[in-house]
Amino acid sequence: MDFDTQLKLQAFLDGELPEVEAREVASWLARDAGATGLLNELRNTRKAMKDSEPNVRLPESREFYWSKIEREIQRLEPVAQTTQSVSPFEFLRRLLMPVSAFAVLVVAGLITYIQLGLGGSSHSLETEVAMANSSAFTYHDYSAGMTLVWLPFPAENELAKNGPPATIQ
Amino acid sequence: MRLKFVFANLVVWLFAVFFLFATASARAASGDMKIEATLIWATNDKSDPNPNHKPVAPKIREKLKELPLKWANYFEVNKVTLDIPKGESRKGKLSDKCEVEVKNLDGAQVEVALLGKGDPVWKRVQSLPKGEVLVFGGNAQNATAWLVALERIK
Repeated sequence: MDFDTQLKLQAFLDGELPEVEAREVASWLARDAGATGLLNELRNTRKAMKDSEPNVRLPESREFYWSKIEREIQRLEPVAQTTQSVSPFEFLRRLLMPVSAFAVLVVAGLITYIQLGLGGSSHSLETEVAMANSSAFTYHDYSAGMTLVWLPFPAENELAKNGPPATIQ
Repeated sequence: MRLKFVFANLVVWLFAVFFLFATASARAASGDMKIEATLIWATNDKSDPNPNHKPVAPKIREKLKELPLKWANYFEVNKVTLDIPKGESRKGKLSDKCEVEVKNLDGAQVEVALLGKGDPVWKRVQSLPKGEVLVFGGNAQNATAWLVALERIK
């Protein structure tokens, strides 16, 4: 007996075959003792499985039973949230992490600001007051760190007024 | 674990604050200046007729070479060192008629006044970081020149 024939016999037992096919299978069963034996075996197996299933009955209606489960779930959820409340240390830790990072940045910025003297002077902050003549020129060499201010008056005329010629010294 | 983390954070904070104050204090203390003022005679002559004059220090000579000056030799006439606390001024006599007065404005900027016979003839305000040189100059007779070099050494 091939597999398809066995399946057809199972379908006959379950009442799933069309009427014509069911009649053919019935006549075949009357002729074939092996097929009848297999059918009996399948019927006994189904009966055994059906009898062994526990027949549990709910003491209340189905809707009431599930509503009880739903209420229990709702009751437990706030408790779970309460247990996850933040402790003071945890709160402090969460607060300190971003604040510390920000503070480190601020401190680093301040140190850089102070060390570089950015709040103080710069080369652009230069003023000059000519007491004698304003036609001096200024030369900057920032790479060499030099500033030259060439004054228009000769030594004997200004710095060494009334002195001997060329005698600034 | 959490306690350790909080403690470590506090320690980092304290160190940061301490470092900030220490740096600020160090900077405040370092606001004093030490400036070397040198009166220099620039000439193309190989020797100076005044035996008391000596060639300028090699460091100053190298710096002067960086400037667009035409003279070949530089002789040191006189040199004074000025220790100037922050906010104060000091005067240095470079010759009988030439004086320089330097005011330490804020630890970084200076106000320099050149005085001829006691009267200010030129005043300039500028930043003068350590190692930088400010040179005043002017023509003198016989194609020579006078220079006053101010170098901040502290």
